[in-house]
Formats: sequence, C-alpha cells, structure tokens
Amino acid sequence: MRDKSNNVAFLSALLTTNLKAAAALRGAFVIQVLFMVLNNLTFFVFWWALMRRVPDLRGWRLGDIQVLFGIVAAGFGLTVTLAGGVRHISRFIDDGELDTLLAQPKPVLLHALGLRLQASGFGDMLSGIAFIASSGQVSWRAAPVVLLAIVASALVILACGILFHSLTFWLGNVDTFARQLWELLITFALYPEPLFGGALRLVLFTLLPAGFVGYVPARLAHRPSAALVALTIAAAAAYVLFAVAVFERGLKRYASGSRFGVHG
Amino acid sequence: MRAAAVSKYVAFARVATALARRDRGELYGRMLFFAVILGVFSSLWRVVAEAGMPIAADPKLLVWYLATTEWIILSAPPVHTDVQESIRRGDVVCRIGRPVSYVGAAFAEALGLLAVRAPLLAATAWACAFAFTGWIPPLAPLAWTLPFGFAGAALITAMCLWIGLLAFWLEDVSPVFWVVQKLLFVFGGLMLPIELYPRAMQVAAAWTPFPAMLAGPASFVLRQSGAGWLTLAVHQAAWGAAAALAVWWAFRRARATLTINGG
Repeated sequence: MRDKSNNVAFLSALLTTNLKAAAALRGAFVIQVLFMVLNNLTFFVFWWALMRRVPDLRGWRLGDIQVLFGIVAAGFGLTVTLAGGVRHISRFIDDGELDTLLAQPKPVLLHALGLRLQASGFGDMLSGIAFIASSGQVSWRAAPVVLLAIVASALVILACGILFHSLTFWLGNVDTFARQLWELLITFALYPEPLFGGALRLVLFTLLPAGFVGYVPARLAHRPSAALVALTIAAAAAYVLFAVAVFERGLKRYASGSRFGVHG
Repeated sequence: MRAAAVSKYVAFARVATALARRDRGELYGRMLFFAVILGVFSSLWRVVAEAGMPIAADPKLLVWYLATTEWIILSAPPVHTDVQESIRRGDVVCRIGRPVSYVGAAFAEALGLLAVRAPLLAATAWACAFAFTGWIPPLAPLAWTLPFGFAGAALITAMCLWIGLLAFWLEDVSPVFWVVQKLLFVFGGLMLPIELYPRAMQVAAAWTPFPAMLAGPASFVLRQSGAGWLTLAVHQAAWGAAAALAVWWAFRRARATLTINGG
C-alpha cells in the first residue's frame, strides 16, 4: 500500500517537473496547445460538411460523432500529457536507454512513461471537452460518467502504446511500425461504429481495440448504465494489466545498451 | 555550366532515391495505412449511399477520388522534419558552405524520395480502390491524374520545405505543419470534393494553393475525362512559382539572421 502511494507521489513529481520544463518555454507551449485545438477543429470540418447533407448515418448524427471525437481526443491528450514517454518506449529499449532506469528504485515502466510530456496534449484535452460540451448530447449531471469514459479511453490508448512498443524486446527496433499501429488505433476510433462489420469488428474489439477507445466510452457517455460502466472499467483494466505483464516479460529479455546517461 | 549545376541536384536526388529504396519500413507502413483509410471510407460512402441522400457523386467514384488524393498526400515526403532537425542541430551551418543551394539540395532530395514513393503508392491506391469497389474508372482520366498528381505532391513538398525553414524562428514547427496540413485536408478536398462544401468555403478554397495540390488532379477521376488540364497546369505552375519565391525569401531572411548572430 505504501509502495503504491510512493509511486503515485513519484509520478506526480515527474509530471510537475515535466510541466515546469514545458512552461519554461511559455510561447512554444501556448502555440502548441492552440494549434492542436485548431488542428482538431479543422479535422471536424469534414464531418460538419458531410452531415449537413446526410444528417443520419445508421443512427449516428453530428452530435454523436462530436461525443466520439471528443472522448478520443481528450483520452489521447490525457495519455500523452501524463504518460508521454509511451511514444518513445521502442527507442528507449533499442537505444539501451532503460539502463539508467533499471538502476533506480522506482518501477521501470512507470518511470519511462513519465519521462516525456507532450504539450499539444493539453490542446487535445481542451478541444475534446469542448466537442463533448457543445454536442448537446451530454448533460452536466453526466460529467462524472464522461470523465470515467475519458480516463478509460486514455488507459486503453496507453496500454496499446505499451504493447505495440514492447514488441521491440522481441523483434528489434519496431518504432515506426508501433507508431503506425497506434495511429491506426486512433484512426479507427474516430469513425462511427456502424461503418465496421464482420471480422474487422472483431479485430476492433480485440487486437486493435478501437472499440474500447471510442465506441464503448462514447456509448457510456450517451446512455450511462451499470453494465456499460462495468464493461468500460473491465476492458481498460484488462488491457492495462496485459500491457504491463508483456512489458515486464520483455524487460527480462532486455540487453543493456552499455550507455551512460542521466535522467532527471 | 548550367548542366553541371543541374547535375549536382540530380546527384542529391539519386542519393535520396537509393536511401529510400534501402529503408522501406516507413513506406510499407504508409501502404498499410492507405489500405485502412480506403477501407474505412468505402464503408462510409456505402453507408452514405444507403442513407438515401444524394451527394452528387457515385460512391465508387468517391472511393477512387479519395485514392487519388491520399496517393498524392502520402507520396509527399515530410521534409519539414529533416529541415527542422538540421537547423536545431546546427548542421545547416555546415551545409550552407557547400557550393550548392541548401534549399535546392533539400528539395532535390525530397523529389528523390517522392520518385520512389509515388509509383509504389499509386499501385497501392489503384489496387485498394479496385479491391473495395470492384470497378476501375476509364484509363484516360486515370492517366491524367499521374503527372498532375506528381506535380501536386511536389507542391506539397515545397510547402513542407517552407514550413521547415520556419524552424529558424520557431522552437517547433509541428504546430504550423498540423494547421497547414488540416487546411490542405479541407480546402484541398482530401476526403470530400470541394463542390460538396458550402459555397463560402468553395470561394475561400479557390484563393488558396490547396485545390491545385489535391482536388485538381483527383477531379479527373470524378469528371472521368481530362477536361480542364490546361487550367490546372497554369494553377500548378503559378503556385509552384509562389512556393519557390516563399522558400527563397524565407531562407534569405534566415541566412541574414545567421550572419548577424555570427552563425
């Protein structure tokens, strides 16, 4: 129990350090946040233009797509803000940069995840929340459920990032491949669920769980129910536990890069 | 004399082509992404057609239209990241001293990469579009898309080069790239032909270079003819000249700053 609270304190200390580093370049920080908001708004123009002409796609309306888009954007933003190191795990493994983390008393994965912060993630979170709030589909009373949906989405995104990048332990440098898989996950999660059927649907709820990144959390935000809450939490927990187990197993195969380095 | 000057840049392009042929991992990733995006959109257009709302274009044509626009955008190498890194690391100072133009060499290298990517991604585009629609448009309009699509990708590359040069003044050019990229998506008609946007957006798009990069070449597929090629050629040439001027001006300003600061 004490170990867990120590880890939480350690993670928050890492986050604070990263935040201070990002805020030191205030101009660049603000530009990254604002441009990411603008980026997300521009992307949504496609849906706005399309749904002016076709207001209903197998039961999905513009507001529904806004909620989906908002949850995925906020979830992604939360991931790269709190655990921005996930995008670099392949490189950490391949370049031997885990050496310095292995010698420290904190869990290696936790430390690696907290090593980086992506400032644009704040822009994703802001725009995501704005999309959800302006959708007209979710009331303020549902805010705790929406928060749960965003956190669950973020955890599945994080777990997939850890899993894809951990392949480096077995396959060598797969940084590009892992990043592309991660992008595919987000891409699939941003489109309405009824577009996908058959075997692809099965893939989207297992190997590339876009269903648990977007569709299920979005459904939870729309129509909260005990069953959906349980499914969302169970799926997020399962993917995170599996990702941690795979990383720990891979870590046993890790060969040192014999490199000297210092991490703050 | 002029032939010797050109041959230097051809050499840069050839080296980049050789490197791109050796390091194909990213290209395969782009091919996979291509197949996924076309699959998603072929489903989307089927659902749109099911919804019974006419959007003035056959869903099959829209898939081929998207295959063409995605081919152009995925073929263009993200040269801004290389330029930014070169500026951040200070390599640019060493390269300026060479008897070739820094931006000319960077553009030649990017064209070398484009020459490797474009044919492979065109084959992927056509194969995927055929797989998802079970149909091939007439070959003549498809053939028109090739030279104009390549020119569109070269224009995007020049734009990325200009964005990369902004690293002389900005900490990180990624935010600028994201916004320009999304403007390209919207005003270039990446996913939806510009004709389907509201009138005000169509007018705004006409004042930007983006339609000459994407919608122009891809519209040959929608129209199923080569009509309008001369207008597109004039637009691409004009925007090409504007891009060259913008790159030249940005680099000139940056170089002056470097001299003032002592390198």
